[in-house]
Amino acid sequence: MNKKAVFLLILLTVLLYAWPPGQWFHTGGTTAARFAEILPSSSSIHGRGEPFKEEEFISAPGNMQVHAASIAEMKDNTLAAVWYGGQYEGSPDTQVYFTTRAMGKNWTPPAGIVNRASASKELNRYIKKIGNPLVFTDRDDRLVLLFVTVSFGGWSGSSLNLKVSSDGGKTWTRSQRLTLSPFFNVSQLVRNNPLRLTDGGFVVPIYNEFIGIFSELLWLRPGGGEQAPVYFKTRLTWGMQYLQPAIVGLTPDSAVAFLRSRRANSRIAVSFSDDTGGTWTAPRYIDLPNPGSGLNSLPLSGGRVLLAFNDSSTRRDNLSLAILKEYPTEHTERAAILENTPGEEFSYPYMIRSSDGKIHLVYTWQRKRIKHVVFNEEWIEKNLNDE
Amino acid sequence: MSYEFSFVFPFLLVTLIMQSILQKLGKSLHGWRATSIIGIISLLVCIAPVGGMPLARWLISLNANFSIPLTAVLFAGVWEKAGGKVLFDRKTLSGFWLFGIVMGILLYPMALGLGVYDPYSLGWKFSLLFVVMMVLTIFLLLKRNPLGIVLMLCILAYHLRVLESVNFWDYLIDPFFVIISCLRQSSRLRAALLHQKITYRQRNNNGGNSN
Repeated sequence: MNKKAVFLLILLTVLLYAWPPGQWFHTGGTTAARFAEILPSSSSIHGRGEPFKEEEFISAPGNMQVHAASIAEMKDNTLAAVWYGGQYEGSPDTQVYFTTRAMGKNWTPPAGIVNRASASKELNRYIKKIGNPLVFTDRDDRLVLLFVTVSFGGWSGSSLNLKVSSDGGKTWTRSQRLTLSPFFNVSQLVRNNPLRLTDGGFVVPIYNEFIGIFSELLWLRPGGGEQAPVYFKTRLTWGMQYLQPAIVGLTPDSAVAFLRSRRANSRIAVSFSDDTGGTWTAPRYIDLPNPGSGLNSLPLSGGRVLLAFNDSSTRRDNLSLAILKEYPTEHTERAAILENTPGEEFSYPYMIRSSDGKIHLVYTWQRKRIKHVVFNEEWIEKNLNDE
Repeated sequence: MSYEFSFVFPFLLVTLIMQSILQKLGKSLHGWRATSIIGIISLLVCIAPVGGMPLARWLISLNANFSIPLTAVLFAGVWEKAGGKVLFDRKTLSGFWLFGIVMGILLYPMALGLGVYDPYSLGWKFSLLFVVMMVLTIFLLLKRNPLGIVLMLCILAYHLRVLESVNFWDYLIDPFFVIISCLRQSSRLRAALLHQKITYRQRNNNGGNSN
């Protein structure tokens, strides 16, 4: 190379690194946005009416195994739910099922919206199995679906994919792969509710299960149609212990994460952030057990958090609610028992609060059906007072 | 563009494999005619539908983001076998493998959960990683080291989003690059140690004979 060529290459290098202009001056920090969904500061939700609880199944009985449901509400109060089902967990016939319920109407028959063949075709690669879907709505009332696919190996070989629907789930964009790990882009899974950010984006709790077992946060602007998603990832925990985080915004800048522990005979752990999710405290256990199963959280009025969890350190045959209050002492109080049948499985709870103040909980019922329980804070208070 | 670019690595790999097989069979690979024939066959192999998708995409199912340096080394191998000029001499290749090992050590253990810090986070947007790579690229260009040109291609490829990934690390390194770097450097180390051992023995024998 002569001197002129070297000079031109160096100039090109500097220009390439200097592009886009101004990026040298916008470094640091996780995001300028803050948490948009936080603990209600008043008791405006509380006191809306009489204690209310209703339950139903939203998947039909059959020979299929179903698991890992999630639910969202669209602007016209229509609920949308997803889960995955097949002959067995990870079987070749597994699909992601989708159903909706308009106000005053019944749930629509569940329809398969993603299967191995469709995911393989849209992602242009071999897909061995699919699982763990998560649905939520953005501020334009579009449905955003994150789901897991595996090309090789087990769930530790998972990758995350994204689809968006602008018509209430009738049609979806082509699946898009999210690259979130440098090691073959494997072992990124999703389970619990995202938190909305003030800039319209989301922070989605995700986790890794390959070699390390740890929790992370996916910062996501879904995009959709011609627009590609914009995303990055940050660390919540590290090491080989905590996964499936469930996060609740406490204030616009602080949040609490509830963590499932990998250890047997363990307890739920918590971690706090006071810099909008940039850094998190080392996890510490609270006084609620965890049998190595998924849990979920939801903000309540009065600065409290509702937890749905398996109230056992070894079994998933019960499903309970508890309230966490009085930070940072993490004092908990059991609120209600939803299921308690020895030998059966009731797992992977997922909660949202709809615009009418009611709390919607979906969970795996004996791996045979998805159950939907609706209640309000007054019902929780009544249970607390009765105990 | 990432879909189309995803065929480049498999195409180069198939070409190199075919060249190696033909070379072992004693066939001549030099010249545009031989190279074109091999290239066309490689392309057909890559796009041949298997299980409903091009064969090349099966490799991409395993790893969707082959790094630019590894792709460049593969290209250089194909070019050399086709009778072209040697693009990367031994010293330059040694530099590639050292780069792969160092970057692998810096990235993978912590990215897989060892410790609270995740270096992969440096690749999402402008950060110290970009500054370091820019300085390294300029240094190598001043030394007229071809790795400098390859690293410049990394940042160009990143801006063009030729890979599926939006993280700069994936343009610099991938797991296969690290594995191959470790294997090549360990075989060089073994060869060097063996050479040293032989030289030592020869010296001792000569010293004994003189007595």
